[in-house]
Amino acid sequence: MQEAIAFTPQLDASSIARWLWLIPALPILAAGIISVLKQPRRKLASNLAIGSMGISLLIAITAFAHVLSGWAHDHAVREVVNFSWLTVGTQAVELGWVLDPLSAVMLVMVTFVGLLIFIYSTGYMEHDENYTRFFCFLALFAGAMLGVVIANSILLLFMCWELVGLTSYLLIGFWYFKPSAAAAARKAFITTRVGDIFFLLGIVWLFAQTGTLLFYDHGSGAIEPLALGGLLVHHSHWGLTAAGAIGLLIFAGAAGKSGQLPLHVWLPDAMEGPTPVSALIHAATMVAAGVYLIARVYPLMAGGSIAPGTTTALTVVTWVGASTALFAALIAVAQNDIKRILAYSTVSQLGYMMAGLGVGGVAVGMFHLITHAFFKALLFMGSGSVIHGVHEEQDIRHMGGLRKYMPITFLTYVVGMLALCGVPIFFSGFWSKDAILESAHAWPLSHAPYYMLVFGAILTAFYMTRQVSYVFFGEYRGHGHAHESPRVMTTPLAVLAVFAVALGIIGTPAWPWFRAFLENHAASVEMHAFSEPAWLMLLLTSFVIVILGIGLGWWVYGNKSPRANDPDALQKAIPPVWTVLANRLYIDELYGATVIAFYYWWAKVADWIDRDIWGDMVSTVIWLTNHWARLNKFLDATMVDGAFDKGCEEIYNGGGVLARIQNGRGQVYLRLLALAVVILAAILIWSGRP
Amino acid sequence: MNYADLFRVTLPETALDIAALLVLIVDLGFLRKAALQTRIMAAVLIGVFGCGGALLAMPYQVDGGLAYPGSADLLLSAGGYTAVSQIGILVLTVLTLFLLIGSDFTKHVGEFVAVVLMAATGGLLISAAQDLLVIFVGLELLSLGLYILTAFAKKSGKSAESAMKYYLFGGMSAAFLLFGFSYLYGLTGSTNLHEIMLGFYGPTVISSTPLVYVALVMIAAGLGFKVAAVPFHLWAPDTYEGAPAPAAAFIASVSKVASFALLIGIGTAAAHVFNQMHHAGFVTASRGPAPTWIGFEHPWSLILAIIAVASMVFGNLAALAQDSVRRLLAYSAIAHAGYILIALAYYTGTNVSANAILYYILTYGLTTIAAFGAVSVVERISGSDRMDAFLGLYKRNGLLAGVLLVLFLSLAGIPPLVGFWVKFNLFATILQVNHGAVPLALVALAVAMSAVSLYYYLQVLKRVFVMPPADEAPVKGSPLTIGVLALITLAVVVLGCLPGLMQSWMAGFYAGM
Repeated sequence: MQEAIAFTPQLDASSIARWLWLIPALPILAAGIISVLKQPRRKLASNLAIGSMGISLLIAITAFAHVLSGWAHDHAVREVVNFSWLTVGTQAVELGWVLDPLSAVMLVMVTFVGLLIFIYSTGYMEHDENYTRFFCFLALFAGAMLGVVIANSILLLFMCWELVGLTSYLLIGFWYFKPSAAAAARKAFITTRVGDIFFLLGIVWLFAQTGTLLFYDHGSGAIEPLALGGLLVHHSHWGLTAAGAIGLLIFAGAAGKSGQLPLHVWLPDAMEGPTPVSALIHAATMVAAGVYLIARVYPLMAGGSIAPGTTTALTVVTWVGASTALFAALIAVAQNDIKRILAYSTVSQLGYMMAGLGVGGVAVGMFHLITHAFFKALLFMGSGSVIHGVHEEQDIRHMGGLRKYMPITFLTYVVGMLALCGVPIFFSGFWSKDAILESAHAWPLSHAPYYMLVFGAILTAFYMTRQVSYVFFGEYRGHGHAHESPRVMTTPLAVLAVFAVALGIIGTPAWPWFRAFLENHAASVEMHAFSEPAWLMLLLTSFVIVILGIGLGWWVYGNKSPRANDPDALQKAIPPVWTVLANRLYIDELYGATVIAFYYWWAKVADWIDRDIWGDMVSTVIWLTNHWARLNKFLDATMVDGAFDKGCEEIYNGGGVLARIQNGRGQVYLRLLALAVVILAAILIWSGRP
Repeated sequence: MNYADLFRVTLPETALDIAALLVLIVDLGFLRKAALQTRIMAAVLIGVFGCGGALLAMPYQVDGGLAYPGSADLLLSAGGYTAVSQIGILVLTVLTLFLLIGSDFTKHVGEFVAVVLMAATGGLLISAAQDLLVIFVGLELLSLGLYILTAFAKKSGKSAESAMKYYLFGGMSAAFLLFGFSYLYGLTGSTNLHEIMLGFYGPTVISSTPLVYVALVMIAAGLGFKVAAVPFHLWAPDTYEGAPAPAAAFIASVSKVASFALLIGIGTAAAHVFNQMHHAGFVTASRGPAPTWIGFEHPWSLILAIIAVASMVFGNLAALAQDSVRRLLAYSAIAHAGYILIALAYYTGTNVSANAILYYILTYGLTTIAAFGAVSVVERISGSDRMDAFLGLYKRNGLLAGVLLVLFLSLAGIPPLVGFWVKFNLFATILQVNHGAVPLALVALAVAMSAVSLYYYLQVLKRVFVMPPADEAPVKGSPLTIGVLALITLAVVVLGCLPGLMQSWMAGFYAGM
């Protein structure tokens, strides 16, 4: 590995870095304007959202180009703009944003995929009554997500993180009149909250230890060597440093958002939302935010470097990631809802990314994040197109033969599917997954994660083949006539399909450009990397995996045309396994019987305490307060005002004019005033006696 | 020190007074036949220019004063907390003047604006004053202006009634204050704040402590009247209810800012001397362990703490029972004064401490001006400030309802509005310096009481948003007024989201001090 270029602290941020805040601000501004638009202004609403996203994309590309040119000229760009957000007493809380290779790459990806999905949504949501509301939420989401990306303060990141969670909740429950959607939204919100509590604890701990919430602050940020040094010598239990423990707490937050075991249960249910939402939030961007977060705080996890290591924290990340990858792939095999299959596949792929971070470092995990964002968005939007084409049907058993009716969707979908399966050489998914497998293979601690990931990869190829044969091959089993989607939906598909293929170029072993860019060393083309035996072995493994997966899938499902109500081929072959998988390994049921049952019980207890103990206490206080307030009012009305009114009355009646006014008022006021002065003086004299 | 310095330090006051005279000349001389609204516009414009001129003159200020026999100390200070509060007073005065536009409670517009400007002059003076005489003159200048402003709606009986009450109560308080001042002078032989504080440590004063107590209590009565602290608050509800809206807004904002600036000035002088003495070991050496008054290091702090508690409790609870929104605002003002008085009781004399108070009172003034503006718009349509006049306002004027929502939630201290941050900052500043059960208990009481306050603010908002309107007719205000209100509301939101903005602005005034 080449020598990394050191990040030189730049005291004066370039103008592009200073204006970086515009990238999240524009979509949020658009969301604000859309929120006050009336429902019929549909065109304006979507144009505002798309326009703001387009400008953000342009700025993001400029920022990326800036970082790129700095890197090409051998000076690593990490520019931060910090400002004091609030001062309490003598302590200041600082916020800020950062422009470095990591955030630049994410910015371009999020704005680009986001823009395509915004455009696609104008077609998909065309007939929805709440079109403006949809774009308002979508733009708000995009702004918050971009805020997560550029945040240089873990507090700002957390605020945007919560905003992202909120918009996710709002969009999953977008069709709130469906009880299942409302329930799914709640589930998503509450499950991620579990992780966020730990995340918040991590933030507080970090602040307590380092006294700063900034990531980078010209040498005194929380994840820069100076502060890290302090965190690393501070050992807590089980060989964890304080840095690692904080990292793990943050990882719990990331696990919630990124659907890692055991907090993955919300993500498949989140598919109740409109499909563009699933594509944008629950496939490409938000769920990847957890992975991005880990990449951002990687120095905490890895003990100071961004190279992979074998710290306890990273070991945990690896195991969680690998198990998630395998379990979710298993479950995906036995699902029948087209979006649910993709959802479990997303969970599984997020597991790959986490495992990649654990075994291979930032570049490996992030590479898969980027390629996955493109091909998974493609798959989701393809599935949306399919759902649109077959009249809102989502069960793959009621589809079939769609390749004849929806040729563009079919072609792009297959590209996405092959990329997801990791078909060698031609598809981006191969290169990124290959890098993860390669690192897992080289992981010194255990080979188990490697085998789990390999098995997961076979399953991935298998369930995707199953899905594609159900949906696109055989005879049409649905109702009505299937039709191709409008141009506004298919064009983004085509664009994404191109990227699903082309993106692989930036991360081949021969030209590890992406890794070099993220890790800040020069990239060079080394063709001989292709002929190294280790890599050839892996290529061979990949071939075997893909052929095995796709072959098995095709053998079981290919080109047969089962009737819609037939049991699944696999179900006939191994019924018990199928039942377990179809029931998602009973994890939801397990939670229902343990955590949720406990909360029900606890809620009952709390309810009792609330009603019978607190309630009575509060009523007493209310009673007292009420009577006190009445007393005050009475005093005010009768003594103060009453005296004055009486005085006036007397003047009116008796005509004793001025003297009496002063008498009437003066007596009461002066008496009270004098009384107050005397009491105060008495208190002073009493309290001041020696 | 010479007259040139004195002239330079009073440049802003001079600018305001020139503007006041100009208003009178223009209004009475040139615009006698013009329409009322034209005259209002002209008068407001001149007033705004006057305030602008005063703001522009501020950089040329220097600390100034006249040499007294035996003392070379200041009459008036400049910069630091004085500069912050003077800028605040000028800005709030401008905003109050905007509330005048579209109103018709008086035909004597020129006089009204002139009196506002002169009263503001008094406010500028007391926020800079370092001498008992200047304090008294400034206070009277401010107070007399306020009495006149309160009585300005000559057709309204309520206005006259409340002005009378205000005037009588104010007169008595001023008498108390002056009496207290005379004691201080007699005890210490000086009218200069710094000298007086030094005198507290001299042999005469220590031997006559009960007299000091009486003096302090009387001064507390006089100043407690200005900030409407319980039990010196009796005038406030009537005055807030009866005064014309711009006058009430002026009393609730500018007068409050000036009075708290004066309290900060007194506290700074006291803390300065106190720290000096402790630093020099004077106190411990001469008197053994320093005496305390129920845990307070100074009897003045104890008085402030007592009236703070009384204000918080009484203000908030009495507000619960109101059904006039103006009286509600009056009692809430009493409660807010209570929160600030805690900070003054624990005042440390540092910039941080002063800024926490100024931050609170300035944003409170801003919010309350807009609240009075919004109330007056509703009042003009429905002829009443009863809670029921606000029924269904949401349907009658959505923007105004939104303005009220933000303002009242900010007053109640709901994040992310500025009212939350200032309260949080104030309490945090107190607790950061003062450890122990008493400050903690006081802050806990303040927090509990602001929870109570949410109830009555929401009572208004419930009528605005939830309950059906009694009258469907739309509520219209003059576009300029609504614009100003919307702008203030926006400021309340923005300052709430970026709390550091104003803090760093204020901190800038202490550079080099």
